[in-house]
Amino acid sequence: MSRSLKKGPYVDPKVYMKVQKQQESGGSEPIKTWARACTIVPEFVGVVFMVHNGKAHIKVQVTEDMVGHKLGEFAPTRTFRGHGGKGKR
Amino acid sequence: MPRLLGVDIPNDKKTHISLTYLYGVGHNVARELCHKAGVDPVKKARDLAEDELGRLAALLERDYVVEGPLRRQTAQSISRLRDIGSYRGLRHRRGLPVRGQRTKTNARTRKGPKKTVAGKKGVKDLR
Repeated sequence: MSRSLKKGPYVDPKVYMKVQKQQESGGSEPIKTWARACTIVPEFVGVVFMVHNGKAHIKVQVTEDMVGHKLGEFAPTRTFRGHGGKGKR
Repeated sequence: MPRLLGVDIPNDKKTHISLTYLYGVGHNVARELCHKAGVDPVKKARDLAEDELGRLAALLERDYVVEGPLRRQTAQSISRLRDIGSYRGLRHRRGLPVRGQRTKTNARTRKGPKKTVAGKKGVKDLR
């Protein structure tokens, strides 16, 4: 079920603050974050994030198309190494 | 047989059923169309008058996305997901279910026919 519209999109307050700060100072340093559930809002376009996937921080360059998605969608948490043993060994 | 939007030829069923042969028109939209165009939904499609067909076609063209444009729209949405490297795009690329369904069993619609793996538990029992 999707989120209630009444609440508006979930944007992590800390991440949002950092983005704003960066836009004021004009820096373009990656923002390290664990807030995978944070929705990408139009203000984030062009910003580089380092999104945690449970193990490492994955670099995510936000583009216009990504607006409305969550940061976590761009940092996969699983690595599938394939099935089967004998044939490959 | 009557012709709607160029190529599509719904057969001689009742109009509200016949319309669902168009891609993007289901039972709901079909009924809606009949209502809006002032066409009797249970009238056989072959008995539709020229002006009734015209009204249906005009409505479809103006207010609805069906057939080719709808297919294009869907394909575009999917390719957008692929291009931005999102998780859903990844699932589309791999041909696996996109919305978090289990894949240990089932998911055959997305994965296609079963590929039996030798030596896996249960393979002997199948024979």
